[in-house]
Amino acid sequence: MAELKTFKGGIHPPYNKELASGKAIKAAPIPSEVVIHLQQHIGAPCEPLVKEGDRVEVGQKIGEAQAFVSAPVHASVSGVVKSITEVPNFTGAKVKSVVITPDASQPEFQKKPGKDLESLTAEEIREIAREAGLVGMGGAAFPTHVKITPPSDKPIDTVIINACECEPFLTCDHRLLLERTDDLIAGARLLKAAVGAGKVIFGVEANKMDAVDALRSRASSYPDVEVEVLEVKYPEGAEKMLIFALTGRKVPPGKLPSEVGCLVQNVGTAVALYEAAAWGKPLYERVVTVTGPGVREPANLLARIGTPIATLLEACGGLVGNPVKLIMGGPMTGWAQPDASAPVVKGTSGVVVLTSDVVDLGEESECVRCGKCVEVCPMFLSPNFIVQSVKRGQWDKAEMWGALDCFECGCCSYECPAYIPHVQYVRKAKAEIAALKKK
Amino acid sequence: MAMENLVVTPPPHLKSKEQTALAMRDVLIALAPITIAALVAFTYNALFNIAVCVGSAMFFEWAVRKARKKKVTLSDGSAAVTGLLLALLLPAKIHWLNMIIASFVAVVIVKELMGGLGRNIFNPALFGFVFILIGSGFLASWTGHLGFLPGGFDGVQAATPLAYIKHGLEGPHPSYAALLFANYGGAISEVGCFWILLGGAYLIYRKVINWVIPVSILLTVFILGYIVGSDGLYQILAGGVMLGAFFMATDWVTSPMYRWGQAVFGLIIGICVVLIRVYGAPAGAVAYSILIGNAFVPLLDKVFKPKRFGEVVAA
Repeated sequence: MAELKTFKGGIHPPYNKELASGKAIKAAPIPSEVVIHLQQHIGAPCEPLVKEGDRVEVGQKIGEAQAFVSAPVHASVSGVVKSITEVPNFTGAKVKSVVITPDASQPEFQKKPGKDLESLTAEEIREIAREAGLVGMGGAAFPTHVKITPPSDKPIDTVIINACECEPFLTCDHRLLLERTDDLIAGARLLKAAVGAGKVIFGVEANKMDAVDALRSRASSYPDVEVEVLEVKYPEGAEKMLIFALTGRKVPPGKLPSEVGCLVQNVGTAVALYEAAAWGKPLYERVVTVTGPGVREPANLLARIGTPIATLLEACGGLVGNPVKLIMGGPMTGWAQPDASAPVVKGTSGVVVLTSDVVDLGEESECVRCGKCVEVCPMFLSPNFIVQSVKRGQWDKAEMWGALDCFECGCCSYECPAYIPHVQYVRKAKAEIAALKKK
Repeated sequence: MAMENLVVTPPPHLKSKEQTALAMRDVLIALAPITIAALVAFTYNALFNIAVCVGSAMFFEWAVRKARKKKVTLSDGSAAVTGLLLALLLPAKIHWLNMIIASFVAVVIVKELMGGLGRNIFNPALFGFVFILIGSGFLASWTGHLGFLPGGFDGVQAATPLAYIKHGLEGPHPSYAALLFANYGGAISEVGCFWILLGGAYLIYRKVINWVIPVSILLTVFILGYIVGSDGLYQILAGGVMLGAFFMATDWVTSPMYRWGQAVFGLIIGICVVLIRVYGAPAGAVAYSILIGNAFVPLLDKVFKPKRFGEVVAA
């Protein structure tokens, strides 16, 4: 077999996908209260369109901003607005949120009369994406309508659907690939139409060959759709790495994929765009993988936005063993939670519970210059020297060693024999450098 | 739900099995073959030297960390490695005080007072060795040792293998096979470089070191050896080149970070080894060369800093 496409660097953590990859998507229970943050995306926060005591219907727009870089939010349940208040999100930051008490029975979603997807113009597709509140569902949550409005001087020729799902444990994209293959391909072709690209490439890691087969059989009638198998390696699904692996193009430091004629979108986003365009369904629910050695019955749950993760954990039979890490997102880039109160947002791909037998909380010691961080860094940076510069408060040097180019994949910390939390130092460097540049 | 033990730390939340202490343990395992060979060849002399060097290195590290009110880090194994390497660099017959002095210089001055493991510029064991090599004239006992292996080279009266290179001596100098497996004059680790190669292969297999530095050094010495009219193969088999290439020059802390820097580092060391051996005093040539190489490390790290992903090289 020929060598699979990939990038240089990266790591091979234990994937543990088998815990949840065979579990078909099922609906999560409706909680007694949903908390919908008015900012779930990169960009301007929304202003509430409802007030305390208002009745809302599922799918109703309840928050919007005038700014271009923003995404509206929608009620994920039918019910009554209990309050509009500040609630901590999964990062611990307090965000203005609409708290809704759901009705005892929830209506089935009524698909709007079907549109002819092939006849939609680019402008119409962007408007659909914006109205539906679409954001990148891989985790970064960048508003989709902005991403599919590339600068006019940078033509896009290739749309890449990121179906790597390179984060260990997570399987929500894998399930969408298997269960929603046709909708996904249709959504991907809408993205292609929106940016006027010539083709769509699906990049799938080789640990999902069933998904590759499904895509290939369904996509065979579309000459503009390609399916590529990629090496199983973290972070294969990082935007720049994926573009390089599939096209050989390198996005320059500080630039966007449009620089090299590419648009990358996540599997979940493509499916959501299809639902918005074909059914008139806004983004008010998503698939969340609830898994890990600390979860009794791992599952892929279709959860309403605003569902507290405690509800999801209960739906999976609760916790087992000695849970020490409750992670919102994947184990490489996700956020550790102090409790299970944080609500699901549009970018929540998973809830991973790790137990004491798999978590290694070693104590940070001095860097011994082994060079392993340099070897695994997919951006060819020098994480050790960034850390050294941060420790000395030399922000210009931190930038020189590449702090601003780091996308925080965490490969360096994963490999580091001295347990150095490079990502934490990099975040500090980014904040300090940004503050200095403002002056 | 049982959530009282939840810990909140920044990502990533997974960690490989890599640990500094485990890497040091691997170095000790890799040094086992040559250490056993040295013990077979020099019996109680070698045992005594190793005990003194390892014991004093660990004691000094403990004492200096205590005195500076810092966390005692004996468990990372680096003091034990320094002590063992130091013992392996020394001849069998050497006054114990020399070993204590070398150990003190290595651990206290070169390592701890430079900031501790990770911050030292020079390889501690080599620096300690060179300090007494220059400072205390133990060379008097350099050529003699108690050889217990039958059929070996007559170590008591003969010159070291390196002296043959230097002086172009005729006569029964050790064969390649002897250099690989049997004992001959010099340090207690100069009892067959096969045992060092075995350990080096283990370190590469365990990914504690990569092949660039050893290959660069050995290739440079081999080729340059012939260029200057000496026997290149003999050059890499004799003396401390093999130990230096696999165990000293590859020290994480005192070697370059990047592959090309490592290659040039090996080249510098290899050139110095041959030049010092052929035109200078052969004893300690490898040690001097690696220390010279160490001094180039910050520069090599600057020069060979890799281009960032997608970075366009300014024309």
